[in-house]
Amino acid sequence: MKYIHFLLIVFFIGFVVSCTSDEQCRKDRYVKMSLSIYHLEYNQTTNQTTKTSLSIDSITVRGLTTEGLNVDSILYNNQKKLNKLEFPLNKFVPESKFVVTFNNTRDTITILHQNINEFLSLECGCLKVHSIDTVLTTNHYVDSVKIINHNVNTISTEHLQIYN
Amino acid sequence: MSILSAQSIYKFTISLLFCLIINSLQAQTDKKQPEKDKVKLLNSITVQADLASIVISSLGGDSYSLEGGVQVDLKHKYFPIVELGFAGANKVSIDDIGFKTSGLFGRLGIDINLLSSKKDSKPTNNQFLAGIRLGMSNFEYDITNVVITDDYWGGSETVIYNKIPATKIWYEIIAGVRVEIFKNIFMGWTIRNRNLISQDVSGAVSPWYIPGYGINTGTNWGINYTLGYKF
Repeated sequence: MKYIHFLLIVFFIGFVVSCTSDEQCRKDRYVKMSLSIYHLEYNQTTNQTTKTSLSIDSITVRGLTTEGLNVDSILYNNQKKLNKLEFPLNKFVPESKFVVTFNNTRDTITILHQNINEFLSLECGCLKVHSIDTVLTTNHYVDSVKIINHNVNTISTEHLQIYN
Repeated sequence: MSILSAQSIYKFTISLLFCLIINSLQAQTDKKQPEKDKVKLLNSITVQADLASIVISSLGGDSYSLEGGVQVDLKHKYFPIVELGFAGANKVSIDDIGFKTSGLFGRLGIDINLLSSKKDSKPTNNQFLAGIRLGMSNFEYDITNVVITDDYWGGSETVIYNKIPATKIWYEIIAGVRVEIFKNIFMGWTIRNRNLISQDVSGAVSPWYIPGYGINTGTNWGINYTLGYKF
């Protein structure tokens, strides 16, 4: 009979613990597109291109609405020595435009993307994840952009690489 | 003296033989006894209702449930059971997200009586049960007022999911007791550990509550307090 009592106690403890309700959202809801800046150097003698991570002395980033207006909030304001940036994509419009000032040179990076609803739970609600289709950029400081990962969600990873 | 001794030996021998015969007959009767007490395959059918679900539903929480079952007694050891019920939930989260569902559910399973009756003890109808169930519910649910806001770009959107169909299958591991409180009337309780077999796909819309299972977590606990009548 001893194991019967043990079973009953285990079941009872499990039941009591499970009855405590928890309405806190404990899931990650941080969705940001991540990009890194690199310097490309072409060596004519070896006919090879080398890629090195680039820290910008001063960088300023702010969003630009589809109407061409500056978003009130500045994402990065004269930040020093950055080589990795995180941009929030527009949740309701399939285009996000950012004006990036690298030192004193300004470029506009446009990201065309799909917005997808992702349901988490009743406690956490729903979030928007994105699928990057195309990236367009002006070429004052930026030479080119490469999409590394099209899916922007709560998983932290590098999505774009910007080359100088 | 020798005659007396011979008579004594004769009486002793006769008495011993008599005892051996009686003892042998008694042993034969004992051997035949288990055949007379052979347990029938089908002994009874019990119809039962779950009082715990009625009480919990009447307390006015987020969910409600009504359920009952029919159980068969096979050899006083095995108790196959069918449980049927109706359950639902109506909840609003702290962020005002609404969830509503209701639906039928069914469970199929078996209990085993772990109490073995001793030879000399009186026959009893009290049982300590361990069992398993396979449960299923096919239902629809609504999730309303899911607000998504964009803190940087501005704007908000309210998402509504209406009449989302779902089928959930789970298994339950059960332990409990049942006693005969009056003639043919049984009362008992069971504690249940429930585990979903069909898990939700990450990111897909999923119900907060599953009729017959409870709150939609990978594993769940429940209690039943049943009142039944044995036919």
